[in-house]
Amino acid sequence: MPGLELAPYQTPSGFTLPSIHSWSAFYTYQPNPRTLATQTQHWTQLLLTYARARRLFALSLADADLASAGKGAWAEVLHNPRLKPPSTSAHYTTLHACAVLLPASFFAPGQAGAESVILCWRTVGEWAGVLHDWALQTGQTSTILTLFEISNPPVPSELSDIPEPLLRRAVGVLQRSGKAQVIEGEGGGGVRIFA
Amino acid sequence: MGAAQSGPKITAQDRAVLDLKIQRDKVRQYQKRIEVVLDAEKRIAKEALAAGRKDRALIALRRRKYQEQLLVKTDQQLETLETLVSNVEFSLVQKDVMFGLQQGNSVLKEMHKEMSLEQVEKLMEDTADAVAYQREIDEMLMSSMTLEEEESVQQELRALEVEQLGLPAVPETVPVGQLPEVPTTVPEVPETAPVEESQPERRVALEA
Repeated sequence: MPGLELAPYQTPSGFTLPSIHSWSAFYTYQPNPRTLATQTQHWTQLLLTYARARRLFALSLADADLASAGKGAWAEVLHNPRLKPPSTSAHYTTLHACAVLLPASFFAPGQAGAESVILCWRTVGEWAGVLHDWALQTGQTSTILTLFEISNPPVPSELSDIPEPLLRRAVGVLQRSGKAQVIEGEGGGGVRIFA
Repeated sequence: MGAAQSGPKITAQDRAVLDLKIQRDKVRQYQKRIEVVLDAEKRIAKEALAAGRKDRALIALRRRKYQEQLLVKTDQQLETLETLVSNVEFSLVQKDVMFGLQQGNSVLKEMHKEMSLEQVEKLMEDTADAVAYQREIDEMLMSSMTLEEEESVQQELRALEVEQLGLPAVPETVPVGQLPEVPTTVPEVPETAPVEESQPERRVALEA
């Protein structure tokens, strides 16, 4: 039983990787559909937890390639140099696909071919709530806000660095419930949030 | 998506504010870009110096200086833009306040219209009449009372006063008297007698 000697591993940045991360089979394609499903589920959970801890919003194939060289923001989680032999990058394409399969992510629109997904470690609805709360707490209701202003606020907030496609979706949720109004300007989008 | 638009209509002012803010964002982005270039030039200068190429390092530093000046200029522009944005937003707030004041004023006017001076005067006269009438009734009632009755009313009042003021204080501790002894035996009750008594009554009731 190879599973018995596995243990969680804490990375230098303070993120605790689950014990399954130290299992070589975790990095190879599993032909059994049920095993594959479980593996996919574990990977998705791990990736979302990691993204949440490090506030990472996007995952791309380039990240996977960088990680196999031990570089990039995703290096800790996508690559395990402690394994013998070290995990290869061969699985990352399938891994990428399995992240896409889940409702917790979506392709960044307008970037076809870029092979980048946006990870929703908060659902779009939750982001909409965060956005509304932020506008209420900072007293910015009923004023016009640019999308850039929301993702790059002068005072850092929960919404700092949120990618525009995700932000637009969150605004869309608010708009449908009558809590926001979208104004399209010439050089970018604007939104007005109601209390 | 367009059909779901709600809320107040988007006015030309809103668009102007949005455009201003977008301009401000662009200046901010430009500043970010310049900062990146500044770092890069410094690194290039260091590397050139390390490689022993002083002229290269000098050129890089000159370029850096130029970018720094640009940064200062954009800072001024950003300040102008932000002042403008906050001025516009403040004017919008002032406009809202004006609107509120206008509404309050018109409501107040309407209320005044409903409360004309003549009406108030008439109402006050009516009230005075009613008060006078009530006083008359009171006087009539008083005069219809005989002296004896008045006297008895006064007496009753005095009695009530005495009762209120002169009540003996309630003792704080209940005096423990000697209670009668509890009987230890059940007293003999004739059990059959009441049953016999009730029977004839029922029979009478049935016969009636």
